[in-house]
Amino acid sequence: MINRESGVYQTTYEGDMALYTLPLARATALAAVALLVLLPLPLWSAGNEHWMSIVNTIVLSAIGAIGLNILVGYTGQISIGHGGFMAAGAYAAAILSSRYDMPFLVGVAAGGVVAMLVGTFFGIPSLRIKGLYLAIATLAAQLIIEWTINHVTWIGGGAQSTIYVQNPTILGVEFDNEFRRYYLLLPFFLLAYFGALNLVRSRVGRAFIAVRDRDIAAEIIGVDIFKYKLLAFAVSSFYAGVAGALYTYYLRIANYEQFTLIVSIQFLAMIIIGGLGSVIGSVLGAIFIKLLPIVLDLTVVGVSENVFGVPYARVADFLANFQLVVFGGLIILFLAIEPQGLARMWFNVKRYFRLWPFSY
Amino acid sequence: MRIRTLSRVLTVAALVLGLSGALTAALADHEIVAGGQCDRTGATKLVGEQICPGVLDYVNLVNKKGGIEGHRIRYIEVEHGYQVDRGVEAYERIKREGGVAMLDYGTPIVYALTPRHMEDKIPGITPGFGRADATDGRKWPYIFPLAATYWSQMGAGMKYVKDSGARKGSKIAYIFYDNPAGREPLHVFERICKQEGYGCRTFAVPPPGVEMASQVLDITRRMRADWVIAHLFGKSPSISIKEFKKNGFPLDKVVSLVWGAGEHDILAAGWDTAQGYLGMQFAGVGRNFPVIQEIVKMYRDEGREVPATVGSVYYNRGVLVGALMAEAIRLAVAHEGLPVTGEKVRNGYRRIRDFTLGGLLPPLTVTEADHEGGGWVKLYQVRGTEIVAHTDWFHGYRDVVQDEVRKAAGKK
Amino acid sequence: MEFFFDLTVNGLLVGLMYALVAVGFVLIYKATSVINFAQGDLVMFAAYGAAVMLGLGWMPLWAVIPVLATGMVALGFVLERGILRPLIGQPVISVIMVTIGLAFVLQGLAAILWKAGTRELPLPVRVEPYVVGGVFISPINVVAAVTAILSLVAFGLFFTRSRFGIAMRAVADDQQASMTVGINVRRVFALSWAIAGIAAAAGGLIWGNMLGVDTFLALVGLKVFPVVILGGLDSILGAIVGGLIVGLVESIAAGYLDPYVGGGTKDFVPYVLMILVLFVRPHGFFGREIIERV
Repeated sequence: MINRESGVYQTTYEGDMALYTLPLARATALAAVALLVLLPLPLWSAGNEHWMSIVNTIVLSAIGAIGLNILVGYTGQISIGHGGFMAAGAYAAAILSSRYDMPFLVGVAAGGVVAMLVGTFFGIPSLRIKGLYLAIATLAAQLIIEWTINHVTWIGGGAQSTIYVQNPTILGVEFDNEFRRYYLLLPFFLLAYFGALNLVRSRVGRAFIAVRDRDIAAEIIGVDIFKYKLLAFAVSSFYAGVAGALYTYYLRIANYEQFTLIVSIQFLAMIIIGGLGSVIGSVLGAIFIKLLPIVLDLTVVGVSENVFGVPYARVADFLANFQLVVFGGLIILFLAIEPQGLARMWFNVKRYFRLWPFSY
Repeated sequence: MRIRTLSRVLTVAALVLGLSGALTAALADHEIVAGGQCDRTGATKLVGEQICPGVLDYVNLVNKKGGIEGHRIRYIEVEHGYQVDRGVEAYERIKREGGVAMLDYGTPIVYALTPRHMEDKIPGITPGFGRADATDGRKWPYIFPLAATYWSQMGAGMKYVKDSGARKGSKIAYIFYDNPAGREPLHVFERICKQEGYGCRTFAVPPPGVEMASQVLDITRRMRADWVIAHLFGKSPSISIKEFKKNGFPLDKVVSLVWGAGEHDILAAGWDTAQGYLGMQFAGVGRNFPVIQEIVKMYRDEGREVPATVGSVYYNRGVLVGALMAEAIRLAVAHEGLPVTGEKVRNGYRRIRDFTLGGLLPPLTVTEADHEGGGWVKLYQVRGTEIVAHTDWFHGYRDVVQDEVRKAAGKK
Repeated sequence: MEFFFDLTVNGLLVGLMYALVAVGFVLIYKATSVINFAQGDLVMFAAYGAAVMLGLGWMPLWAVIPVLATGMVALGFVLERGILRPLIGQPVISVIMVTIGLAFVLQGLAAILWKAGTRELPLPVRVEPYVVGGVFISPINVVAAVTAILSLVAFGLFFTRSRFGIAMRAVADDQQASMTVGINVRRVFALSWAIAGIAAAAGGLIWGNMLGVDTFLALVGLKVFPVVILGGLDSILGAIVGGLIVGLVESIAAGYLDPYVGGGTKDFVPYVLMILVLFVRPHGFFGREIIERV
């Protein structure tokens, strides 16, 4: 870490435009990726499937959260319909895979594309309205998508609106436990993560940010705001669709009740707590929101049963509702004291250690 | 947030976590682990708040009486707020703890967990939470509805209607909550209607179901239905009761399926308003059962106040869940010995014969071909300030229901 | 034809029940430009308060109402001071999110404070319907309608005749200009939350009586969005008219459309209508035409 920023003089354009300009930063990123790839190995036994299932849920959520952050954090368009777009992707993948025997990758791609089309369609109101009104319009999108899946038999697949798919198989390897599924999901997460990092520093990403910061100014400097707003909806819902499709293959079932309004709200909470307009923030937010109920659950039960000797049965209701209070309270607290979220804290930690141990 | 504050917060969090983790790990072994999910904060919290204590109390009772063949049951409840991914996490957590029997809570979660149960060979029971097609244990060996499924409930409801005088040409309305669970019995309803020559119509109540004036108006004033089968959840049953009453429809012609007739529904509608309302049950209601009396006694012995919910509709269903799990584990231990595995518990469920728990349960007999146990239900009626038995245990249109199960099993 | 008449009357009455909740929503938006996703939860909280007080049996209904109103005013003040004020000047998404967070907190708190299970909220209103020209009208709907219309009149007078009302309109119009003429903007913000608390109390009493009191009562908040968008986010009259429109459309759709599409249009049609209106008149029928368009 020591003095890592000193003495870097780029001599080529390629070097200057690299995602990570410093050798050490590149090494850190590579190390992080390697860590992610190796993560399951020490855990690999049937008893640890529980932990891997949590990791997998986080990975899935992180993909969706990055997508939402591109729309909300970078482009400034509010969406309460993210869950609905995920559902669109999930059903597209499920239908292709169960009725037309399409392979896994086709299903995921189709999920992304279908969700992209749906998302762009519901993004059209954003050309006309913004802020609060857009929030409510996307809320309507969420409800309309749910209704459609529930009532159009061809999509929902019957009264239960539930479609089963097989375990995905690639080159003869069946992804049939939590560890293997992790390796199924991880490449998509890495693509999503680095894709987003690259997107937001490109021409398109800068246009998104310009639209967010001042749409009129953006228009004056020649940014076609109609185009970029719709593009933001398209990219964001493509991410949502991929996440939804992966979720389907992960659970081996598509069911729209997995993607209700509360899921959309959870995704918003993830990016707010993680940090609006930050890719790493989306990931941190996903980790936080997904771990929070589990950690609270284990902690409160553990403490009350072992420290105070109160059996679970007597604290169950309190515990459950306490989780709601903490969840809501954290959202409020973060907005009040750290509006830039976990990403900002992460940055502060990095900055602190940059000069460590000689900080002043 | 400043770095110093941040580091303090993190330290405290880490300490608390480590402490609780260490303590949980220190628990004793030599016990049989079972688990179940619960919803105490989500869409079905009014139900979960009553069912889950029923399960916990029953397991507690079993342990107080010396456990199963001398082995304690450790029952792990995980709350999931009716969210699918937390349901999956709950399943995996119970599996990690070595759970051999599970309660799956909530229709979408039951669907999502079905493949896992089949792969891991851990039986999941889903009383009242759907998966009517899982009745066929040859196709779904590890899913046990164990109580009348929505299809059987519909069959029974239609039988009651027929026995009460419905003939060819009678008009029957089906009003249902517009979600997958509500739609599940739809085609059974339509099929029986066609078979009997009734004039039938269906009415959907979209979520959140806080308002249904126009549907009930249609049923009572345009269609002029003779009978109504209602399949509503959450707040909507109580609202339907009020609306039917308002439009002068006799409530003893309204048959509610199992999630629409809890005490809180009647309370919200008003006991006076709800007089005569018919609710279907798959477990007995009230405290006049030996097992409920034992639980009451257990509370008194511990010097605790007996909660008002003991003996209520949903609490007793929780007791049913606990009892069926315990019985299956007992049969597993008795026939196949220790250590108990998911497979043995599955066989245990299939060995259940005429298990009634002193009248709390219907005469339940589970076989490989019938994981539902006969599809028995009982109608209760609101009279005075009580919910009292209106019929004995019965089931109806078994041929139709079984044919639907066969058809579902044939499908991919 | 009689059926159509039935549907119309009932739809309009239900619409006024929605309007009752929508009024609180509009009050907050009008002065503070905050969309309050927790309005339904405030209604739920108020209903719990009323049910608990009546359940204790210490005081009759006429005493409970002022106590409840005071309590809700206090809650409104606390929420504004503690939660909303730190967010002045933050982006819209933050403000929306903070009210969503508030909704979770209120849900959890209500369940912890007052325990699980449904409670009764008895009002001295009879259950048997009035029959007017063959149409069944339930008395509680009449009470709701009267309350909604009374609140329209009361708020109308308040906004045109009282000092505070005029100050609130001034703040809604231009915060900086109002500050320069000596209006205490913060006090106006606090006041509008307090008044929204009173509106929630009225909604809570009536909806609580209708549905019984538990945390699900907050769901009525979801029904309100189409109402306020149709009517215009900042118009009390709009809230009432929007309520009437949504109630009517829902009722007619459920009566005549449901048989053809397999049901459930009630939930769906108001939102479709809302999206259409957003395209044509984003400010609603009665809202002021300052909504930012792009």
